[in-house]
Amino acid sequence: MYSLKSFVIVALICTSLTVSSQNADSQQARLLVSKQVLNKLLVQDSDILVKYTIYNVGSVPATNVVLQDSGFPDEAFATVKGNLNIRFNRIPSGANVTHAVVIKPLTYGRFNFTAAVVQYKSSEGAEEPQFAISSEPGEGYIISYAEYDKKFSPHLLDWFVFAIMTLPAVVGPFMLWWVSKSKYELILKQKREKLSKD
Amino acid sequence: MVKKEKFEPLFTKEEEQLLSDFSRNVSTKSSALFYGSAFMVSALPIWLYWRIHMIEMLPALVWFILVTLGSTYLISFAYKNTKFILKHKIAIKREEAVTREITRKYADDKKISKKEKDEKALFQKNDVADYEATAFSIFYNNALFLVIVVLLSFYLLKGFSTTANYIFSVGIASGLIALFSTGTQ
Repeated sequence: MYSLKSFVIVALICTSLTVSSQNADSQQARLLVSKQVLNKLLVQDSDILVKYTIYNVGSVPATNVVLQDSGFPDEAFATVKGNLNIRFNRIPSGANVTHAVVIKPLTYGRFNFTAAVVQYKSSEGAEEPQFAISSEPGEGYIISYAEYDKKFSPHLLDWFVFAIMTLPAVVGPFMLWWVSKSKYELILKQKREKLSKD
Repeated sequence: MVKKEKFEPLFTKEEEQLLSDFSRNVSTKSSALFYGSAFMVSALPIWLYWRIHMIEMLPALVWFILVTLGSTYLISFAYKNTKFILKHKIAIKREEAVTREITRKYADDKKISKKEKDEKALFQKNDVADYEATAFSIFYNNALFLVIVVLLSFYLLKGFSTTANYIFSVGIASGLIALFSTGTQ
């Protein structure tokens, strides 16, 4: 549907370039954030798993980390499990944190999955918060439930009902023919048996 | 003044009935059965398209009506042809058994002459052949039609739009069975 990996890589490079352009000498936490949509198919009224991973590539822990994703408007998505706004007190240097949210699209069509924002303190003494932008999964197509059902459902019940409906059209006339045929073939058989006995 | 001439009928009633039994024309009752059955089987694929292919019903309604009517005509045409071919074959196959059945039935009846028995056997043979040919023709054509429709709609014409898939699947299937029925074997 779209290449999530390429978006993640591009975003990681962009974010790291932004981070590295800052004062490299100071002892700071540097966060790289990836946002991934894990579903292969995006289907209306079906769960979509979104995974956020925050990597601290800096030399000191990041504190007061707040992840905010306002990319899922209430009129188009319902949150099934998890939070789109979450706070982590501390992410140690060299560590990473993963957060997952399950959402459900209420409608179908093209949707642009935008980036989430992470706000954090890059050092213990920092007064101004640092912002990081996650990778963008990009545009995806949410297919309608009817379309999904058409493509992937086995329609067992519908086939069963169809089979029942074909019975009078196929089995009915076959039975009528078979009964008559059997009746007259039996008469012939009896005659031949009688002849062979004689 | 033209003098009205009184024509002697060419055939007796029995002969006329026998001739009609072996003609391609079917009785009104038989025709109604054929059209009824053909209509029923022609309408069956609509279920598949509605439930499985998920066709939009309202825009395709006109196509449903047109294709079902066309298919009803072609299938009833196939019924008639198949019945006509089968009836002769079945009549020959059943002759011995029917004669034996009639002989057994009237074995103790002394009033009935041999000629009458032969006549009864002849009529019975035609009735049996007609009945079996009608039933087998409906079974054979219905089964063949449904198999072709399913094969076309789910395999060969899978890539077509749903409406085009419906029109061509049902159209080709009914056309093919009508064509097959025109064979003489």
